Amino acid sequence: MLPTPYVRCDYDTVYEPSEDSFLLLDALEEERASLGATFQDKLSIVCELGPGSGIITTFMMQNGIPTKDKSIYLAADISPWALEATRDTAKHNSCNGTYLEPLQSDLASCLKGREVDLLVFNPPYVPAEHVPEAPRMGEDHRMWLDLALLGGEDGMAVTKRLLDQLDNILSKKGVAYILFCARNRPEEVAQRMRHNGKWKVDLIMHRKAGWEVLSVYRFCRDNAI
Amino acid sequence: MKFLTTNFLKCSVKACDTSNDNFPLKYDGAKCSLQQDDSIDFNPEFLLSILDRVDWDAILAVAADLGNESLPRVKPVLVPGQELSEDDQAILRDLHTLLIQTSIVEGQMQCRNCEHIYYIKNGIPNLLLPPHLA
Repeated sequence: MLPTPYVRCDYDTVYEPSEDSFLLLDALEEERASLGATFQDKLSIVCELGPGSGIITTFMMQNGIPTKDKSIYLAADISPWALEATRDTAKHNSCNGTYLEPLQSDLASCLKGREVDLLVFNPPYVPAEHVPEAPRMGEDHRMWLDLALLGGEDGMAVTKRLLDQLDNILSKKGVAYILFCARNRPEEVAQRMRHNGKWKVDLIMHRKAGWEVLSVYRFCRDNAI
Repeated sequence: MKFLTTNFLKCSVKACDTSNDNFPLKYDGAKCSLQQDDSIDFNPEFLLSILDRVDWDAILAVAADLGNESLPRVKPVLVPGQELSEDDQAILRDLHTLLIQTSIVEGQMQCRNCEHIYYIKNGIPNLLLPPHLA
């Protein structure tokens, strides 16, 4: 088993690595060999959306996912606290020599189309009445944490927005790993994505975590494999 | 923000996606302060893979924005797997210095279509939009 990065952040403002983060790490570890084979020899653009503490991006950098020394890592978060934390976590784990760029952005809306080869997203997936707005300057910092958690209707508001853009984000061979909880009704989401004809969707890993069932799905273009 | 990252950033405004002017962003050379950061080691293979992928015209445009007009007008063609000549090595080293070691620490850039201005602070670009544009 690959080691888990060392993380120490201010958990009043940044999401503390939890079962969902660890499930994504395990899924990426399981996929490591096949990702390495898919992306060998070429430059890979890796993008994590909502990196929070930065544990997942750091894990990918440490373990050369998808490729060692041929990947650049973009970490896009709406929260400035998360971006600082991501930078710090990479540093604490001696990843200074790897290309990491924190970007303050709403999902991938600032990225040039179809450039991302590996996308990872642990979204705000908790069902809630609505997705909170970003706190303004001077408002309580802890409000940033709600943004990391609350996902609106079915907990799917943010993930759905991302899935709608996926075709425009992923490169031709691009792969996305997205985390769901059971209340997101991921099998229905997967079916919908498959039915629009473009996507191959596979359940990579699932796990019971307390009273939640978490799962990681892989999305890629139907003609990519 | 490393120079190379400019090759992947467009304007966040959705309506600009139908324009050809939303990439690359236009960097304000007078307001950008640059820093050299040597924490990433020179790796010719990495540079070759970058060279293979980048949009060279966008590299030229941003370099010119920042006052560097010395790049070749056409993307250098180097074949991976072959022995690199000393000239090739020199090209890759120069690109390493520019694309990876040069960072914009503070500064601003603008969409050439909608003219919205984005800022870079403490090395981190902010590409969020105000509510009326989002």
